[in-house]
Amino acid sequence: MSTAGLAVTGCGRERGAFPAREMKLVVQAAAGGLSDSVSRIIGSLMEKELGVPVVCENRPGAAGALAFSYVVRRAPDGYTIGHAPVEIAMVRTLGYADVSPQKMELLSLVSKTQPALAVQAGAAWKTLGVFADAVRRRPGHYVVANSGTGSIWHVNALLMERAAKMRLVHCPFSGSSGAITNLLGGHVDAAVAGVGELASHVRSGGLQVISVFDQTRSPLFPDVACVQEEGFDFGASAWSGFFGPLGLPEAVAARLSGAIQTAFASAEFQKLCEERGMTALYLDRAAFREFALEQAGFFESTLPALLRGAA
Amino acid sequence: MGCGWGSVDNMSPDILAGLMAVFQWEVLLFLAAGVALGAVFGALPGLTAAMGVAVLTPLTFWVSAEKGMAMLLGIYCGAIPAGGIPAILMNIPGTPASIASTWDGYPLSREGRAGLALGINALLSMIGQLASVLFLAFAAFPIAAFGLRFGPAEYFGLALFGISLMAGVSGGNVLKGMLAGIVGLALATVGLDPMTAYPRFHFGQSEFLEGISFIPVMIGLFGLGEVLDQMSGSQAGLGQMPQKLGRILPNLSEWKRMILPATMGAGVGTFVGAIPAAGGDIASVIAWEQSRRMSRKKEEYSKGSVEGLAASCTACNSAIGGAMTTMLTLGIPGDAPSAVLIGALLIHGVQPGPLLFRDHRTLVYTIIFLMMLAAVAIAAVNMLGARPLAKALQIPQRWLWAGILLMGIVGSFALNNSVTDVWVMSAAGVGGFLFRKASIPLGPLVLGLILGPMMESNLRRALILSRGDWMPILSKPIVLFFVVVTVASLGWPVWKAVSRTGRK
Repeated sequence: MSTAGLAVTGCGRERGAFPAREMKLVVQAAAGGLSDSVSRIIGSLMEKELGVPVVCENRPGAAGALAFSYVVRRAPDGYTIGHAPVEIAMVRTLGYADVSPQKMELLSLVSKTQPALAVQAGAAWKTLGVFADAVRRRPGHYVVANSGTGSIWHVNALLMERAAKMRLVHCPFSGSSGAITNLLGGHVDAAVAGVGELASHVRSGGLQVISVFDQTRSPLFPDVACVQEEGFDFGASAWSGFFGPLGLPEAVAARLSGAIQTAFASAEFQKLCEERGMTALYLDRAAFREFALEQAGFFESTLPALLRGAA
Repeated sequence: MGCGWGSVDNMSPDILAGLMAVFQWEVLLFLAAGVALGAVFGALPGLTAAMGVAVLTPLTFWVSAEKGMAMLLGIYCGAIPAGGIPAILMNIPGTPASIASTWDGYPLSREGRAGLALGINALLSMIGQLASVLFLAFAAFPIAAFGLRFGPAEYFGLALFGISLMAGVSGGNVLKGMLAGIVGLALATVGLDPMTAYPRFHFGQSEFLEGISFIPVMIGLFGLGEVLDQMSGSQAGLGQMPQKLGRILPNLSEWKRMILPATMGAGVGTFVGAIPAAGGDIASVIAWEQSRRMSRKKEEYSKGSVEGLAASCTACNSAIGGAMTTMLTLGIPGDAPSAVLIGALLIHGVQPGPLLFRDHRTLVYTIIFLMMLAAVAIAAVNMLGARPLAKALQIPQRWLWAGILLMGIVGSFALNNSVTDVWVMSAAGVGGFLFRKASIPLGPLVLGLILGPMMESNLRRALILSRGDWMPILSKPIVLFFVVVTVASLGWPVWKAVSRTGRK
């Protein structure tokens, strides 16, 4: 506590001296996942840019709500920032904690991950249209796996069901890897997951991706039509960004956002995106704020009805 | 499906290249650093192998794939055997995988045979790792195919069988064991419902939405609970720490007794490890209980049986090779540390999966050799460390208590940077103390906590897939196998008792 107080006064005395000491980057997921990789790579690149250590701290739990609530309650001095995934726009509506983009100082968005529908490699369905026809012929027969009830990929499966006017059986697993493993083993008929998580299994011949839930195709699957081309309009990509507590001094926020932008442009980060199937996409503070608020509004208006319909 | 090694003629250049990649001083240095770090992460309760691998992964971003893998595999292979050390000396499993090692390891060290227990842990861990790596080298694809056959119904069968082991780990008092098991199963229901995400028993605390964290409970039950029990003086006589270390190397008759349990531990560990999301903790409990059933000296189990310790040490370490098999062949993680390793391989542009065995064959052999070297290295560290570590126990007891308490608090906080977890640890410690006072065994409680969520979520998934019909679930061969084994193992003692009274 006392060190935080000292640093704030120090910051006021010599303007522009931020950062003067070690920073903390709070990750909402356990060590080892995609959020963790993005945060650790961006964090270590920020270190070089800012000249102080950036230490990642994992605070998993409640779909990220614990980490988000923790960061927004810190002193707005810039020494504690957090990773901001799509869940910052969802947890309030899901009822996990009263925290939302309105209560955050959004710094930068660095990537997004498109959702996709995958089936076993041998399956006859090659497009979403064909799949939807088959499902409509046998409502409530086909099982689509997702990464957990209320998770972003489950929401995408529900959006698909609504848009294509079909009735699926949704089977939640804990995380995408459970869903994908069960699809590989033939225990379910299809799975919705991020394109990056599916890519290796498509390359090794176990799975095929038949639709990408976005307005554009995925560079990972140039031959797979996106939903737009098949006449549908749905899809909610996952994304990755960074935020701090509300009320960060303008200069500090600009400095942090700038450091993230430099890290974003690095070869290391671009390589990470390519290998993990993320679309490198940069939004600055104003654009990220607008985007996150729009996303929060979208989930607030659609999630309750979608999840009620699923139950 | 091709089998790992295949015809030797056209493979040998890859094997040679793999060997050459390993035997470079830089690679060996990274491996040594990894093993040393792994020993630290494993020996400190609350720090896990997965955490060690994850934290070090970004560092490997700037070095070659071989060096990166050397370090990460060193951590993974080093942490699990090191986790047995606090299990043996202090009754606190260093990682969840060494829970079953407390059951015989700790009694052994209280008898003044801490050296032998540490020696068995060091050597049998190495044997377990080497055996499972050989499985990986020679039968990777059949083992992986077995792992893929596990859908929700099969996981339910496995969990059902695991829960039936509660009777065996009750230490003689089945009624009290069942009580503890039910407490474990009840605690496992806290958190978001695995199917509907409806919050259960969280009393408005978002910290409990993901359930009660298992590791703080484990540290509390075994660590704090044990300290409180010793402080209350109930174990008068036993309160003295072992003054004698005893010999470290097992003698010939002990080796003979350990052959069977070790073989079974290696087999069970490899296959359970290959099943995604089932790891060393479940494997070692199953191996321990099965070896008890087969043993001619059942009465020694949980009182300091070298056979029981041999079974649990080999099983939790063979799970490493099993998990790596699934990870390398299918690109799906066999357990938490291997999930992180996938990420690390991806950073180096290497995609785990069937194609790995075609496109990056040299790397596969490199990984195999690295794991073998790591297994030997950590065994050497554990052997050399046995004497000084056991000496550490001769410090005055109050210092030891303070040390365990401090380690418990730091460890449970470090897991998720959560103060709530420290409270959970403290509550579990008081619970563990009261259970000890009432002579209620802790093993069944731990089994309930581990297997409860696995059984519940997978039964409900299986029922979703079968549209609520039980027959498709029970008619699957693997499920049927587990159900028959469960019924047989529960029914056998009853049948024996009945037939004996009938004869009289």
